[in-house]
Amino acid sequence: MEFPSQLLYAQDQILLALMIFIIMLGMGASLTVDDFRAVARSPKGVLTGFLSQFGLMPLIALGLAIILKLHPAFAISLILIGCLPGGTTSNMFTYFSRGSVALSISMTTASTVMALFMMPIILSLYTVEFTSQLTADMRAGGAETEFVIPTGNIISSLVLVLVPVIMGMILRKKSPGWAKTMEDTAGFLAVIVILYLILTAFVRHGGLFLQTPVTVYIATIGLGMAGFFFGYWFSRLIGMKPIFQRAISLETGIQNGPVSFAIILLSFNEPVQSQMLWLAILYSTFIVMTSSGITMYFRKHGKFDWDIYKNTQIHNRLFGNDFVTKYPPGFLPARLINDPSQGTQPAQKR
Amino acid sequence: MEYARFERIEADNLALLYSEAAKRFDDLPAFATRKSAQDWQPVTYKELYRQGLNLATGLIAYGVKARDHVGLFGDNRYEWILADYGVQLCGAADVPRGRDVSDAELKYIVGHAGITFCFAETKQLAIRLLKLQVELPALRHIVMLDPAAELPEGVLRLQDIYRKGEELRNQGDREAEERIAGIRPDDLFTLIYTSGTTGTPKGVMLTHANMMSQIRNLPGHHNCTDRTLSVLPIWHVFERIIEMYTISFGGCTYYSGIITLSEDMQNVEPTFMASAPRLWEKIHEKILANIKKAHPVRRLLFKIAYFLAKQYKNSEYFIKNKDLKLKRQPAWKRWLLMPLHVLRWIVVLPWYGFFNAAVLERIRLGAGGSLAATISGGGALPIHIDKFFNYVGIPVLEGYGLTETSPVISVRPKLNLVVGTVGPPIKETELRIVDPETGETLFPDPACTAGGRGKRGEILVRGPQVMKGYYKEKNLTESAIRDGWFHTGDLGMMTHNDCLKILGRHKATIVLSSGENIEPEPMEMHLQQSKYIDQCMVVGQDKKFLGLLVVLNGCEFVKNGIKHRSLQELVQIPEARELMKKEIRRLISPATGFKNYERIGDFRLLPEKFEVGHELTNLFKIKRHIVTEKYSDLIDHIYSNHSPKK
Repeated sequence: MEFPSQLLYAQDQILLALMIFIIMLGMGASLTVDDFRAVARSPKGVLTGFLSQFGLMPLIALGLAIILKLHPAFAISLILIGCLPGGTTSNMFTYFSRGSVALSISMTTASTVMALFMMPIILSLYTVEFTSQLTADMRAGGAETEFVIPTGNIISSLVLVLVPVIMGMILRKKSPGWAKTMEDTAGFLAVIVILYLILTAFVRHGGLFLQTPVTVYIATIGLGMAGFFFGYWFSRLIGMKPIFQRAISLETGIQNGPVSFAIILLSFNEPVQSQMLWLAILYSTFIVMTSSGITMYFRKHGKFDWDIYKNTQIHNRLFGNDFVTKYPPGFLPARLINDPSQGTQPAQKR
Repeated sequence: MEYARFERIEADNLALLYSEAAKRFDDLPAFATRKSAQDWQPVTYKELYRQGLNLATGLIAYGVKARDHVGLFGDNRYEWILADYGVQLCGAADVPRGRDVSDAELKYIVGHAGITFCFAETKQLAIRLLKLQVELPALRHIVMLDPAAELPEGVLRLQDIYRKGEELRNQGDREAEERIAGIRPDDLFTLIYTSGTTGTPKGVMLTHANMMSQIRNLPGHHNCTDRTLSVLPIWHVFERIIEMYTISFGGCTYYSGIITLSEDMQNVEPTFMASAPRLWEKIHEKILANIKKAHPVRRLLFKIAYFLAKQYKNSEYFIKNKDLKLKRQPAWKRWLLMPLHVLRWIVVLPWYGFFNAAVLERIRLGAGGSLAATISGGGALPIHIDKFFNYVGIPVLEGYGLTETSPVISVRPKLNLVVGTVGPPIKETELRIVDPETGETLFPDPACTAGGRGKRGEILVRGPQVMKGYYKEKNLTESAIRDGWFHTGDLGMMTHNDCLKILGRHKATIVLSSGENIEPEPMEMHLQQSKYIDQCMVVGQDKKFLGLLVVLNGCEFVKNGIKHRSLQELVQIPEARELMKKEIRRLISPATGFKNYERIGDFRLLPEKFEVGHELTNLFKIKRHIVTEKYSDLIDHIYSNHSPKK
């Protein structure tokens, strides 16, 4: 397949870098030091999230790459996306799907830090097959080099990406008002830039959408969907609360797209860079649509659980922690009666 | 839905509703009283019913008979609902009124309703009633609700009655149960005196059947996880029906107040509430003020969000056929515009989605975030407020009704949201639009195009919620209810998508947005005493203050040295306006016996006289709706600057 050797022009790269900076700043602005402490308070949730984010997702990505026989560059990009940390987008979607926002934020913070160690390990483990394929291709093309995953560069780009996050957190501490503004602006900007990239790609390389193999579309859409599906059932099977199931599901499927842009731009070179970037852009576009759909489904599906959870929580807030909300017999379905988690307080456990 | 059977209780009367709710909802909280922002005192359904039975037994012991009228004077608090439980469970009816009742009204109500036993919320109210007792020998017992206040001599405490009843019940007294069994659907549960429109208040007789039909027919799906915030006065039948409705589905009612409202909205996160236009005006003002104070970027984000929401919702309303349809529209026009709206809807959707989530949700959180619906009643909701909240995504559902119809006649359900209307009539309710002059039925009229939709006239209503009548006012009742049709005195029309649009009052009474009722005719008579005023009309329905339209008496101005050739010229002269201003201030003031809210905030001089056949009837009575329509620009101008001119 002939792939345009330069997907992005210089000005786009600057724009993209600026966007990544602002988005990560916005992400930092939504975090406080307390969020890190919260991770320690809900170890079970965060651990489940960790397992599904760094265990399930990369495996799904690897599986998809093998089954769909993706081009090695696409495959590496897909696996890279598979082991990314979560972003702030997932927090917003979790909020609207009536999931636990606190857990979502804890998972985002934990995975962002953990990614520093986990990403290089997973990436070098899972991409062996594809890097050797790439090396073979390059040798066949007459080059003398060997393709290796630039582990060092990936770690340094991750660290670089964390700089604006920390700046954002400082901003939040200094001026919460500005931080809020930053958060909103960042979200808005992300939508604008992704649309801009898609549109320019469309204008400059009109054929690109047609040239892209169907398998790439399936992989980019499927990665997120499979993440939602397995994240949901994994957490449900090990007995998490409904509100946590929804949070883990979304957090697993939604990855921090901008971080992947940063890593690809900073750590990889042509001939693979453009292809990797293209897959990342496609993923970022489709994930917004699929997670909107999933959120709407969760929102409707989870309304009853949520109403009960919320009402119980408010009773405890206003009437004291000892107050026990007793619903009439037959009102709660079996799955909720047996769920010890519907209340927030020990007294609420039925 | 598998939980549908938990949606609402249907019973024959309020007492049975209370007892069924105690059985079904048992230990769920029924009412909660605020102690501090985060500390509320709940009382469960079972406990409330138990206390209610004790109180009822106590009331019987103090001589309250079945179908007696028991006064209940006070505002929203737990003891109010307990007293109501007591009254209903001993088969009597209550006569409620708020703390702000005047002595004259109190005297009239107690006398007219034949009250022998009454509750008074506060010490002051109890003392006022004590003083009136001299002129009202029939009034035997006054019971104070406030448990904390010091007890004036000659007044009983609620606890006294309660303990008496508790003692009797412990001894096996079960007379309350017999009383409950004896309640007929046709018996009154309340007798509400509407604030005086034409001098004396009228006692509206509402029966158990009226109330039960409302509980049965109100649209909406609620269950025992719902939270209702109570902020309107409980003695208004609208707030009362919402609290009774809440009991029927097992929700909890939280007593809030105007002062703590915004705090309570965030702590209680209500899912349902009864509200009034003034409340939403205030919240609207507050939201706008906050946006003005906010960071410029956020302000911009809000503006974009609001703009997108407007585009999105307007297209959605159009596509779903929920736009305001006052005029008949040809079908081809709709189909021609349809693709454009669908296109706009699709283009705006992703942007709206983002801004809705990021910006508008924060505004909704200000109202607690869980608010699934709030019915606004008790006056017309200004269209810009209505639009604002529905664009932002806080479903303010406008309803329409009167005390006489207990009160809901129609309400905009969430799934049939036509902004600017009060929705279709609720179940079991029939509507008619009738020409106020000739009495001819305009809607429904099969002979007419579109069945009479889009024609304006007086609204008539027939249904199970229409009152039994005015107490001891046979003539008034007969003129209000003819052949089962209640004449509302309001003007309205049926839109082309079958929603009711209210167009003002046919009866002259002006209701300000603060809820004050003003009878304009006596005021106009008073104003016309002035030699400078030829004719005048007071306006201000649903506004914050009264306005006046004046036709000047030209000759008197000439005598005063203000020369002019025509009325048109006179109204342009600043001195004339200045003179008029002084004159109005002289005539309408507390010194001349007018209340503060009856002050004329602003006025406009009319360039033409009112003519018979146009603005005047043959009997020289002003046709208010004609004048309002003709000078709508001038009236709008009076209220375009928000504060009244001093």
